[in-house]
Amino acid sequence: MANLAEKLSPLHELAMPRSGSDKIILSERLCDSLVQVQAWPDSVGEVEKLINGTRGKRSVMPTGPGRWLIDDPAEGLEDKLRKKIGAELGAVTGLTHARVVVSISGEKATWVLASGIALDFDLSAFPTGTTQVGHHHEIGLTIHRTGENSFDLYVFTSLVRSFWQWIEKASAEPGFSVV
Amino acid sequence: MRLTCPYCGPRDHQEFTYRGDATAARPALDNTSVDDHNAYVYDRSNPDGLHRELWNHTSGCRTHMIVERNTVTHDVVSCEPVGPFAEQLK
Ligand SMILES: [Zn+2]
Repeated sequence: MANLAEKLSPLHELAMPRSGSDKIILSERLCDSLVQVQAWPDSVGEVEKLINGTRGKRSVMPTGPGRWLIDDPAEGLEDKLRKKIGAELGAVTGLTHARVVVSISGEKATWVLASGIALDFDLSAFPTGTTQVGHHHEIGLTIHRTGENSFDLYVFTSLVRSFWQWIEKASAEPGFSVV
Repeated sequence: MRLTCPYCGPRDHQEFTYRGDATAARPALDNTSVDDHNAYVYDRSNPDGLHRELWNHTSGCRTHMIVERNTVTHDVVSCEPVGPFAEQLK
């Protein structure tokens, strides 16, 4: 019998590991904690302090005015933040099951992304460690640059199969591997 | 056409949603004139030249802004944030 607590990827067979060119490396990841926090206009500074005050090795990605998407490699961040950030300070929304992270790296990573996403991927406009929110053909994307040639893309769970099919097709010309 | 989001910077217009004429003023809640409300909902001046429009950065930070745009040349003159975070974005 299947373990019901086990997380299942909507990508399933699409993202099975396979070896090919190392010019593009694709992989998927399911989050342990992914939380959006929206501060009210007069509580932005306070909420930012509270987010940074919770310990952990996590990515805190600004996605709008007074808004952050927080990816934590441990479960339970939503509850932790909800205890600290009450309704008088902002809104805490759990998105752990609502996004799948598609990671892309390799020397042709920016070339592939730029072929379908209308963002400036030059390092001067999109430095390592920063986040941009954009879209690919109406599929909203939060894009976190983790290195010069590596990105984590937070994709809506229900649309990630379609997005994965695009990124494989776009990566076909230089060649890719799935890990 | 590109619009400069006050939060995200210059972006392709496909990331934005048109939210209507920014010059139309909603009648006061205690205004019971049917004509005034009808005019607010339906009457538009459809100018050729400069126009003020509400846009939302739907596929980005979701900030609302007022775009001043030339409807003939598509030149964008300004993009000003509106809404609760407007002051912080100016
Ligand atoms: Zn924006």
